[in-house]
Amino acid sequence: MGKELSFVRGTSLSIFVSDRFEDCGALVAALIISVGVMFFL
Amino acid sequence: MIYTYKSPALLIIGILMLAWGGLNQTGAVDGLQGWLHPSEYKAHVKDVKKHDEKVQAAMEQSAPAVKAMKASKFQTLKKKEINLSLLFGAISTLVGLIILSWKPKEGNLDYYIGILPGMMFILGIAFVVRWGLDPMFGKWGKLLEPTLGWNFAKIFNLNYVVIGIVIGMIMVNVVKIPAFAQHGIRTARFCLKTGVILLGTLYSAAELAQLGIISVAMIGFFVLGSVGAVLWFGPKINSPNSATGVLAAGVGVCGVSASVASAPVVQAKAVDIAYTIGTILIWGVLCMFLFPTVGHILGMGPVQFGSWAGTGILNSAQVAGAALAFDPKGIETLKVAEIFNITRVLFLPIVVLWLAAWYVKREEGAEKVNLGQVLVAKFPLFVIGFLIMFGLSTMGAFAPADQYKGKYFNSSEVKSEKLLKDEAIVALQAALPMVKSEKQTAAMHNLIANKKVMTRAEDGELRSVAKIEGLPEAATDALHDAHKAAWHTSKVILAFRDWIAWLFAYGLIGLGMQITVKSMKQAGGKPLIVGSVVGLVKAVGSLIIVLLFVKEFTF
Repeated sequence: MGKELSFVRGTSLSIFVSDRFEDCGALVAALIISVGVMFFL
Repeated sequence: MIYTYKSPALLIIGILMLAWGGLNQTGAVDGLQGWLHPSEYKAHVKDVKKHDEKVQAAMEQSAPAVKAMKASKFQTLKKKEINLSLLFGAISTLVGLIILSWKPKEGNLDYYIGILPGMMFILGIAFVVRWGLDPMFGKWGKLLEPTLGWNFAKIFNLNYVVIGIVIGMIMVNVVKIPAFAQHGIRTARFCLKTGVILLGTLYSAAELAQLGIISVAMIGFFVLGSVGAVLWFGPKINSPNSATGVLAAGVGVCGVSASVASAPVVQAKAVDIAYTIGTILIWGVLCMFLFPTVGHILGMGPVQFGSWAGTGILNSAQVAGAALAFDPKGIETLKVAEIFNITRVLFLPIVVLWLAAWYVKREEGAEKVNLGQVLVAKFPLFVIGFLIMFGLSTMGAFAPADQYKGKYFNSSEVKSEKLLKDEAIVALQAALPMVKSEKQTAAMHNLIANKKVMTRAEDGELRSVAKIEGLPEAATDALHDAHKAAWHTSKVILAFRDWIAWLFAYGLIGLGMQITVKSMKQAGGKPLIVGSVVGLVKAVGSLIIVLLFVKEFTF
């Protein structure tokens, strides 16, 4: 099995690099922003 | 590991932000703001003068008090700067003081406090770029246009996106990122992902369906085509199978992430991935700066350019950068490009399966890999987040579905003071004989009867009437006023667009800070030759296809 290059979270240049923690965090952040926008406007 | 770096930097950033907010609040920098935004300032001064005259006249005639002036575009612009500067300035100052006085201990609190200076550092640059350098270059471009014969700021796309990325690249390669900001820069991709998820709120189902059809056709052809081309060309020049496999995914699908995802199935070595990433980076960065200029020269619209960038640029982050560089004021091009980006990702499982089959066939004794496990582990979950936001938005969770574009038609929301005045009605009646089409005549009669546009279809007919040659100016003005009164702005959607623009600006500046010459220099070996040939064919081929077959459309 070839050695897989490891990536430090957030340091790769592709947006689509899979990182479960980061992905879930981004979804939570997007929901918070949406609720905030709805609440303040 | 302790993440918090003892430094007064965050406190200084906070004080600078607070100072900018305060100076704007008091009007001390109105001169500078007026220089940066001349047309908005001119209109604002005119509005203030008009309002003052009304107040004066009312006072002289002892008439009822004049209503307060509606906020001008210039004031709204300033208000946004004040609010953001004061909010983030206060947070930075507070946390800056904590950092100076606190003894950090390993843990979550230390991690989150440790990344904040870097985040505020990027945000500070984003403020300077969006509020200062972007309008400044725009102004210089216009000023030098008569001398040069062309607008250098427009041709080189010197807007906040490109300037931000360039500043980031200069900082990491020349000046070096300050130690206090190192950890915070990692949040760039997180913000880009949040931006892509939020983008899901801005599509209509019809738009997504139409873009989806074009993107599946184009991406299907180019993804599978370039994977096939690399797999054919690589062995021809004796490139190792593992390097060819990992490059095929990178060049075909979405750059770095696809290379990483496919690495286990082709048993790639670290050096194969390093070569591939270097090749993709060089191509991505080159395309990010070249594509928008070519797009402007060819007079492409958002759909055409978004389709081209989403297909022809190898790496996802650079697709977003090119789309925003091409159209920094609107989100339309980014919307199209991101659909293509997401479609590319959805092709990843097919490509991984193809590569696995190809590799096992060529390499005898290749180790078996659990494909299901690889696919599940590498699938970017945030694409599902995008679909969740799209679903919520389509169901009207944030704003009525017809408002997704920011501007929407609604006749019943026309205020009484916006109804056409008697003089306008007289002008329209006088213009009636000039209208030839039956539908247009009916729309005119309905407008005259109701003093406002009643339906969106009639609005379209009346827009055509306004273009009739020789139509009296009073009638054209009346049609224009009626059209303007029936169209409204969705504050919620505008707020989403603003958030998305800031998240992408932040993310792209942070990503610029990760584009190192060192990582590009690692490109080499056979992957550089194969990647360059296929990358070039893909960029030119997709441009030709887009120009021939993709037409602009609106909903």
